[in-house]
Amino acid sequence: MKLLNVYRSEPNDDTKKLVEIVSEGRDAESFDLNVESPDYSALVDKVFAADQTICWW
Amino acid sequence: MSKKVGFLLVNKDYTLDGIRSALGLAVENMYAYAYVLNNELTDVSDYHKENIDWIRDMEGEVYTTVDANVENLGLVKTSLEEIGQQLRDLDFVIPYGIMRSDKS
Amino acid sequence: MAKSLGIFVTSPQNMRHVMGITTAAKAKGSKVKVFFTWYGVHLTKCKEFSSLCELADEVSICVDSYKKSGYDPADIPKGLEAKDMATQGQHGAIIEDYECYLTL
Repeated sequence: MKLLNVYRSEPNDDTKKLVEIVSEGRDAESFDLNVESPDYSALVDKVFAADQTICWW
Repeated sequence: MSKKVGFLLVNKDYTLDGIRSALGLAVENMYAYAYVLNNELTDVSDYHKENIDWIRDMEGEVYTTVDANVENLGLVKTSLEEIGQQLRDLDFVIPYGIMRSDKS
Repeated sequence: MAKSLGIFVTSPQNMRHVMGITTAAKAKGSKVKVFFTWYGVHLTKCKEFSSLCELADEVSICVDSYKKSGYDPADIPKGLEAKDMATQGQHGAIIEDYECYLTL
């Protein structure tokens, strides 16, 4: 199970906890959209490679 | 096989519509679950209550971490940890809307 | 190899991400469908919205959300047609028919 966690904003404690639980024991990667110039091409490659993507707030 | 989807609802301005959106997938023959975290629902109309009932009729559920939502609307009490464990079994996890600016 | 990509937009804050991801996915040969709901429909008023409609393979919005957000359903956003003023069934279609899924 390859999981991609994408962050649209700075994760709060609840989000961090949920990410920790859903990612446990899985091949998990993350991508931060909350930057000035996200590398959208790299993000799309990661989305294509993942079994599931979760875009957190 | 029917997909399992979960809506994470953390912002009062988005929660009731998120429940409506969950119902929209339940009627598409998916297992739809809604999780109301840290926001107490007020001004809940009969229309919105019917949406909750319909989700249940279609083998979904609406959970909450807030006691007032359990008492006032009969939502099923859960915890952040239990939500996390349930999310592991879902095909789609949908953090809905935007994060609230505080916990009010 | 490019997979198909469905994007479910529930936030009014992410137009740059919707455009950026759709542009990147189309450049890789992906088929892209975007569905806007609840306060995400405010993005139909962004100047880039009609460009998005040209770029993506399919764009639709929840007409019920559009009305509840204060807009006249007869005022169809530039780039859309009457058939694109749709229901939550479009979200269901993304989940059922597209290989990859994003919430923005």
